[in-house]
Amino acid sequence: MSIGIVHSAALNGLEVRTVRVEADLGGGLPLFHMVGYLASEVKEAGERVRTAVKNAGVEFPVQKIIVNLSPGNVRKKGTAFDLPVALAVLSAAGEIPISALEDKMAVGELGLDGSIRPVPGILPVVWKARDEGFKGCIIPWENREEGALVEGIAIYPGKMLGELCGQLKEGTCRKYRAKGKTCRSEKGNSRLDFKDVRGQVFVKRAVEIAVAGGHNLLLTGPPGSGKSMIASRIPTILPPLLREEELELTKIYSIRGMLKEEGPLIKKRPFREVHHTITKAALIGGGIFPGPGEISLAHKGVLFLDELTEFPKAVLEVLREPLEEKKIRMVRKGGAYEFPADFMLTAATNLCPCGAFPDMEKCTCTPAQIQRYQGRLSQPFLSRIDICMDTPAVSYQELRQEEEMENIESSADIRKRVCNARDIQRKRYEADGLKGIMVNAQIPASAIERYCALDKETEELLRQAFSRMGLTARTCHRTLKVARTIADLEGAERIGTVHLKEAIGYRMPDSGWRRAGI
Amino acid sequence: MTEEVYKYWFACLRRLASGKKCRLYQCMGSEEAVYYIEEKKLAEFSFLSETDREYVKNETKKGALTEDYERFLELDIKLITMADRAYPGRLKNIAAPPWALFVKGSLPEEDLPAAAIIGARQCTPYGERMAIAYGEKLAEAGIPVISGMARGVDSAGQRGALNRGGRTYAVLGSGADVCYPRENRGLYLDIQKEGGIISEQPPGVPPFKENFPARNRIISALSDMVLVMEAKERSGSLITADFALEQGKDVCALPGPVTSSFSRGCNLLIQQGAGLLLKPEDFVEDLRQRGIVKNKEIEIGNGKKSDKNEKMLESPENIVYSCLGLYPKGIDSLLAETKMEPRELMEALVSLELKGMILEISRHYYSRVK
Repeated sequence: MSIGIVHSAALNGLEVRTVRVEADLGGGLPLFHMVGYLASEVKEAGERVRTAVKNAGVEFPVQKIIVNLSPGNVRKKGTAFDLPVALAVLSAAGEIPISALEDKMAVGELGLDGSIRPVPGILPVVWKARDEGFKGCIIPWENREEGALVEGIAIYPGKMLGELCGQLKEGTCRKYRAKGKTCRSEKGNSRLDFKDVRGQVFVKRAVEIAVAGGHNLLLTGPPGSGKSMIASRIPTILPPLLREEELELTKIYSIRGMLKEEGPLIKKRPFREVHHTITKAALIGGGIFPGPGEISLAHKGVLFLDELTEFPKAVLEVLREPLEEKKIRMVRKGGAYEFPADFMLTAATNLCPCGAFPDMEKCTCTPAQIQRYQGRLSQPFLSRIDICMDTPAVSYQELRQEEEMENIESSADIRKRVCNARDIQRKRYEADGLKGIMVNAQIPASAIERYCALDKETEELLRQAFSRMGLTARTCHRTLKVARTIADLEGAERIGTVHLKEAIGYRMPDSGWRRAGI
Repeated sequence: MTEEVYKYWFACLRRLASGKKCRLYQCMGSEEAVYYIEEKKLAEFSFLSETDREYVKNETKKGALTEDYERFLELDIKLITMADRAYPGRLKNIAAPPWALFVKGSLPEEDLPAAAIIGARQCTPYGERMAIAYGEKLAEAGIPVISGMARGVDSAGQRGALNRGGRTYAVLGSGADVCYPRENRGLYLDIQKEGGIISEQPPGVPPFKENFPARNRIISALSDMVLVMEAKERSGSLITADFALEQGKDVCALPGPVTSSFSRGCNLLIQQGAGLLLKPEDFVEDLRQRGIVKNKEIEIGNGKKSDKNEKMLESPENIVYSCLGLYPKGIDSLLAETKMEPRELMEALVSLELKGMILEISRHYYSRVK
């Protein structure tokens, strides 16, 4: 009996399952057969492995070869099983000693020339390998930096199958040492700055509050007023990621194969702008075996929907649960898939087909048209917006005023205040042992009483606003959280009337932006 | 089959002009006679065109009249034709009086003066607020308000009258059982209680565009004076004003800024000699002096007037309030005018809104309440 065993891993969403790849060489007619609930790309691995092994300069055994990937009830897909299958066969043929492989995990795709090609999902796999107690991981050379992000496990990157095989045989595998490149600070798109935005002081204030507390933001206003311009500058004031957030985010990007070979660690908060032609599946993640969608790619960052009313209603409605739950759970035939989706929603829209509303001198739309246009956004969706800000057209004076240039705040100034406020929030929730809560927007309903406590005067103000302005329980909570952020920006311990009033001014009006009927 | 059934059938002949209906009725003596008219006889009437004859002929062949009538009865709508005693005298003398009126509720009283409040569907808070104020004042003076229950000024004026327990009547361009626009459902029900919904159209007719100018002539005919609140240069309200002048009614218009396109029609009317509407109190006082309004003035407390501004002299709220008027202003122009910090301005705006002194018309556009 000659059996080769190699450990590998199957990705199922963000979840990783270890897979045992077994190869058996036996008597009978020469054939190569693979079993174990395989997707078609895994079945094709047989041809790639046979040719790659031959071209690597190792003789492929002419025997009846059966390869089994266990557990047999886990669906295996992707091309990362090429390398473990090849290693298992070579091990069964006695080319590689079993001991060289038993404490390692291997993943990688093979080229026909015997080269080892990169695969997505290295970070979660290596992570899992470490947690499972493996000593090392054999991964493709191009993925070495990504693999090296995980501490406490040896990384053996391989370029060619032949070379790797020789090293394993002789026990001369070299551990890879990360070059420390990951410390390089990312400048990003530094050409953008809030200094470029003239006027719109109010909008900038609203954006600052939204970013400081992770609140969802909606900018309304006529075309050309700078909604998209302002939104595109949000990344310049986003605070830096924490180490654990970086890794969490990098895992998501890893599954999608969106990491750079050099410096794969995601160090900047993502800003994902999606076009209104996006499908539901692309937005929340989809397919028979779902991968992360745009909302997960925007995890810990910003999801920007420009021209909100142009999005099909059905697409916007799928955002409702993730906006509350901060994650998305999809159930498919293969099981349940869960991806994190803790993003800050930023959206921009006109208020009528011609865009000029509420400037009634300019607007050419009929009331019915305006109502239909605004009705494209459902109330349940809108009630998940914390801050709604009008972005009026900028006047000529504001646009051309030169002398006040130095008075306009730069992104760096705003970012400093945002970071301060975020620090206050994080420390507060950390001190109270609330795990995973970083910003005020995440305060659970049960903790609102505690963190958004009001004194008598402020309570009375809220009561008035509730009855006079028709707040609902949801908008009331959201307004309180925004007030908390405004207080934090100021460094105030308690929410005062000043903070609450300003927060009320930004709230999403309950009747949308429609004029109150009589 | 009773007479009523034929009466209903005849009133529902939409494609026959009311003038022709009137003559046909006079020639035949009763609706029943029209229903059983012979083809030869019909051909004798030269005032009917070929299509009219064809139309009447086809309609007379229609059966199931009783069923139709029974369905009509369930709607609780009264049918009043020119042959009836209840037919409003004001309508008899106009150029093309409607043959029949469908009424849900009641008709305006004959001997009471009535006023129409009309204006643009799309109006500014100024027009809306003034329409409400005039509606309220007229109601206090005991004058019924007649209008078209359209969006904007019309419904504001009628709501104003209802606010003060006055009577108000809506003349619709659709059937009296069709509430258009739909969002005025509440107003539609209230008007039925405190006045009536009137239509020339048979029940069930949707709001066809071409019906509206025709219904305007009924609005002006039922009123003794027509008050135009806000109208653009080309507007249905001006059509109503024209009808009113033709019918010899008083036309008054509310002036607006010359820069506002929403008041251009009104300003033009004033230029052409329409009465100038100043304060609602003055208007009603004028009516009283002319003897049109006979009831005594209802005392309204004058003490309330000057309490608001004194409370918060020189405060940020006062500065913001003084920058606002009935035409809505955006938050950025307020910022420029007051030279305040955004947070300070927002605080003042929310305070004013909570005090009920200003209104957020659209997102971050504010106007005074009064």
